[in-house]
Amino acid sequence: MRIAVLLSAGRHPVSGRPAPVPVELQALGLALGLSDEVTGLHAGPDIGPLRDALGHGLPRLIHLASEAEDDPVPGLAAALASGGFDLVLAGRAGQGGEDSGLLPYALARALGLPIVADAVALAPGAAPGTLIVEQALARGARRRLVIRLPAVVTVHPAAPAPAPFAFAAARRGIVDVQAGPSAAEPARPASEERPYRPRPKLIARAGAGASAAERLKAATESASGGGRLLVAPSPEEAAGEILQHLRALGLLPGR
Amino acid sequence: MVPGTARRRLDRAQRVPAAEAAPSAITAAIDAAPRLVVIAEPAYLVALVPDAPGGRLTPADRQLFGAARALADAGGGAVLALVERPGEEFGPAGADRVLALPVSGYDPEAKALALNAALAALDLRHVLFPESADGGDLARRLAALSGAPFFAAAESLSPKAVTRAAHGRRVEQRRAPPRLISLAPDAVAPHAGSRHEALPVAFAFPEPTGGGILSAEFIPADPAKVPLAEADFVVSAGNGVTDLATFRALVAALNATPGASRMLCDAGLMPRSAQVGASGTVLDARGYFALGIAGAPQHLQGVARCEHVIAVNTDLHAAMIERAGLAVVADAQLVMPALLRLLQDEARQPERQP
Ligand SMILES: Cc1cc2nc3c(=O)[nH]c(=O)nc-3n(C[C@H](O)[C@H](O)[C@H](O)COP(=O)(O)OP(=O)(O)OC[C@H]3O[C@@H](n4cnc5c(N)ncnc54)[C@H](O)[C@@H]3O)c2cc1C
Ligand SMILES: Nc1ncnc2c1ncn2[C@@H]1O[C@H](COP(=O)(O)O)[C@@H](O)[C@H]1O
Repeated sequence: MRIAVLLSAGRHPVSGRPAPVPVELQALGLALGLSDEVTGLHAGPDIGPLRDALGHGLPRLIHLASEAEDDPVPGLAAALASGGFDLVLAGRAGQGGEDSGLLPYALARALGLPIVADAVALAPGAAPGTLIVEQALARGARRRLVIRLPAVVTVHPAAPAPAPFAFAAARRGIVDVQAGPSAAEPARPASEERPYRPRPKLIARAGAGASAAERLKAATESASGGGRLLVAPSPEEAAGEILQHLRALGLLPGR
Repeated sequence: MVPGTARRRLDRAQRVPAAEAAPSAITAAIDAAPRLVVIAEPAYLVALVPDAPGGRLTPADRQLFGAARALADAGGGAVLALVERPGEEFGPAGADRVLALPVSGYDPEAKALALNAALAALDLRHVLFPESADGGDLARRLAALSGAPFFAAAESLSPKAVTRAAHGRRVEQRRAPPRLISLAPDAVAPHAGSRHEALPVAFAFPEPTGGGILSAEFIPADPAKVPLAEADFVVSAGNGVTDLATFRALVAALNATPGASRMLCDAGLMPRSAQVGASGTVLDARGYFALGIAGAPQHLQGVARCEHVIAVNTDLHAAMIERAGLAVVADAQLVMPALLRLLQDEARQPERQP
């Protein structure tokens, strides 16, 4: 199976220095668990710290050299279409750029391939040309999908960590620089940029000027409440009521 | 300041009646029954696509309604909910119109194609999605399909501007709300104060075509393994529980994740990773079942986000009893075995309907 892993130029979340994006290295780990024919792809002006991916076991990295302002989609789409890949893996979202996670979807659309999001495990399917994808959902739940190849799959941060960095592997891997087509980014309505300021989350909302006791109450109470009270029931009665209540809330498998 | 005194002084007790007149007017408005608002001729439509797993709205879905109402009410627009399964919850949540999508099973591509048809034909001004696993996926599919401008994971939203974090959370981007927006959790307050009519809308969707997904199977989380912060249903023991063996058996029988108060963790009876509260884990669970827990403020902070709380305590005046949706004043050592017995009885006769 021929697999392409899309690697973007990231920045370290704390230091802000150029660094590979962790979830893309996890995608590389999943790819190497499936096949040996794995190729990395990056479109951008500079390969910089993406050489680290070679140390995590990537045998070959194609660098589509282009300007920083260029749209990466046409170049990547052309390289993927001519490469004959069965599977394209990308991160859920980049880290250090626009970080909207839109690129894999735009690429799947340009290539006419199906796309599946948030993989944490991949395995070859029973029928040839299929792939079993385990998808991460909220609260530790999973969904197992069988998809037809070729396809684009994005990887979730809950996926297993990649193989550790090895210096010898980094020396062995090759970087292949190719000229990417220069396509201007489609005109987007400009958005104003300013330094980031964390916003308070909506958990506790006591009115301005409320006393300390009121603010504590807002922080510890929730909207629900005004509940039912059973005083000194028999244990059996209490147990029956609790189970019925849990069922009504859908917290227990119903009967 | 205390009015009417010769010398001006700061009032720290804040028990002056004059200062209380304003807040009580606000509470009176909230206490009144929500009035029904009818928007017959909307100037434009603001659509939203809630996750609504199994037809129930999640907290993120309710916040989505709050955001859509803010965008619609600014110019006489109406809120259109695009849902898989119409239900009664949408009117009180804030939907003026409801449109059922022709989707069955897990097929996000078919859902995105249906949304794309509605986006073009109904001239939707905005379409809002929750930035959840399925909502975020759907938003990006629609953005790629339609080519409409998309604003991912908005952290604040008003009719004038939306903002989001970019460049590794170093930069805040701000612009006028574009056509497609996905909303980060806890960014906007849920809609409250008025009911809406939730009129069903008819729309001829194009025939769905087969996508690349051959089969889909849901695998529920293993509650014994999920981290406490991600758990859906937590059963927790406090100082009132002495019979921990029965407690563990009960947790397993209820298919829940175990938790504890700090007293039990300090005593080494439960692992520190199970501690719920300000200095332990703040839960995001839907359900919380507290056995023999007094409900100290430090503990209650950990359950502030839980939708449903059940408490068993011998003390009628415990704070946990006040916080609970179902409160049982009884001895936990007697209730736990009774619950176990009832669950075992039910397991033995699986066909009987209650
Ligand atoms: C800085 C700081 C941080 C803290 N952080 C946390 C935290 O993160 N999490 C936390 O939990 N605590 C925290 N605490 C401790 C907290 O203040 C309380 O001491 C603790 O939560 C009390 O635990 P409890 O309710 O289990 O015990 P108790 O206060 O001893 O309450 C036991 C309850 O069980 C009831 N009871 C007794 N016998 C029975 C019976 N047979 N059946 C049923 N009910 C019975 C009693 O009526 C009582 O209400 C913190 C304290 C400090 C100072
Ligand atoms: N210039 C690029 N070259 C290669 N892959 C990219 C590039 N930009 C983004 N990607 C991939 O697309 C994913 C999502 O990126 P983004 O849409 O920028 O959040 C990343 O995790 C990468 O796998």
